[in-house]
Amino acid sequence: MSGPNPVEVQDASLAYRLSHNRAGTLKEFAIRLVKRQVQYERLWAVKGVSFSVPRGEVFSIIGPNGAGKSTLMKMIARVLPPTAGRIVVRGSVSPMIELGAGFNPELTGYENIVLYGTLLGRDPSYMRGRAPAIAEWAELTDFLDVPIRSYSSGMLARLGFAVATDVKPEVLLVDEVLSVGDEAFQRTSKLRIEEMIADGTSVVFVSHNLGTVKEVASRVMWLDHGVAKMVGKPAEVVKAYQGSV
Amino acid sequence: MTTVSPNYYDSDQARRPLVSELANLWGYRGLLRLLVVRDLTVRYKRSTLGVWWTLLNPLLTMSVMWVVFGNFFRFETEVPYVVYLLSGILLVTYFSQAVISAGSSIVNSSSVLSKVYVPPEVFAFSAALAAAANFLISLVPLLIIQLVMGVGIPWTIVLLPIPLVAMLALVAGLGLLVASAAVYFFDVLDLTGVLIQLIGYLTPTFYPLSIIPPEFLPLIYGNPLYSYLLVFRGFVYEGVFAPWWAFVVMVGTAIIVLVLGVWVFSRSWKNLVVLL
Repeated sequence: MSGPNPVEVQDASLAYRLSHNRAGTLKEFAIRLVKRQVQYERLWAVKGVSFSVPRGEVFSIIGPNGAGKSTLMKMIARVLPPTAGRIVVRGSVSPMIELGAGFNPELTGYENIVLYGTLLGRDPSYMRGRAPAIAEWAELTDFLDVPIRSYSSGMLARLGFAVATDVKPEVLLVDEVLSVGDEAFQRTSKLRIEEMIADGTSVVFVSHNLGTVKEVASRVMWLDHGVAKMVGKPAEVVKAYQGSV
Repeated sequence: MTTVSPNYYDSDQARRPLVSELANLWGYRGLLRLLVVRDLTVRYKRSTLGVWWTLLNPLLTMSVMWVVFGNFFRFETEVPYVVYLLSGILLVTYFSQAVISAGSSIVNSSSVLSKVYVPPEVFAFSAALAAAANFLISLVPLLIIQLVMGVGIPWTIVLLPIPLVAMLALVAGLGLLVASAAVYFFDVLDLTGVLIQLIGYLTPTFYPLSIIPPEFLPLIYGNPLYSYLLVFRGFVYEGVFAPWWAFVVMVGTAIIVLVLGVWVFSRSWKNLVVLL
């Protein structure tokens, strides 16, 4: 447990730009520009948040809906560059934020394994080699040559999880996905994540399930309106958060 | 060997756009290849006409124009009119197809780009590459017509990669500029279509330069696409090198537009991604 922290978030902020009467077309925009009606308002989804996650730690983020939890996760996943502040992530990242983002319903399970894995930054030829093992783990071997538009949502979630966790990452970002699939799958997926943590993977975990948070997290951050209200031991932060609701 | 996503991310580094973006893209070359292949197979495998569609489309356009301008107007060109016409149509089709598909690629991939980190330029470049591949395939009927019409195929054909790659840089750069604007305003793509048509008409694809009144010639010489066409026609059937200034304009615009496109796009990505 040494070396620099895999995840460092320093005073990071993210602003969405809301324009009142947003001009959807260039024509409209030009007209409004002439009329001097172009106004923008910044909505700070995340504001001045700082924390770091050491190796092998499970860092959990809790807070009400719209607190900026998912935005913060996407910032760590590099999808949203911070408007201000700095984010450093050392090592590979498996984002389990929106599992199966990039799945194409017309392509087969096999083709989607290769495509999704490649979108996650892995090599296509490596993914081709791994596809059978991934399908087996997701219990989808029999459906590998079927377009995934005929998959059930549980099957899709299993496939997404299996691809995302096929390679042991240094940082795992989890957004409530532990709750996908049936009970048996939930057990195996939880086991797989626990193995990774034991192996030194750091986890950033967003959840509404305070029971799970208290059970698995090493530290918890309470986020409200984009601001970190409290960071500390799970029991204390969860208690304070529950007291506020 | 497992290549997992780039192993170090520092949001501060993203402020050196060109260097870090290009290094980053290299790490995603596998995805680039995959997207190009997917684009082509979707087009060819899953339509009944398949690859013939790519060939049929410019040939049909050519037939109509050949009847109108070759027979009614009787345009005089140094080579058989069909060869002159088709070579022009193919190059301009490559240009317009590539700019439109690269320009719409970012908006079309928004579901991926707003959820997974992928260098967004990959989608624009793959669209441009797929258009280049289509262009290469559509050269086949042109070469056949050249043989049939007794024009032959000059040795300079081996130099075709030069205008092809220059055009690729031009359309990728333009595509990125259009793509950034298209995220803000969805009518940008329609507007681009109109502008491209205008540029197409200012390029001597179906008319010889000799019919243009001298006072309008600057319009055509001022159109960079004319230089690309001069180089392309020189290599594909004339067997000559276009005048030196055409090469200068071609290479110059290709480099400037590509650098500008990548720079503007990576600078504005931060503002674009929150709108996707």
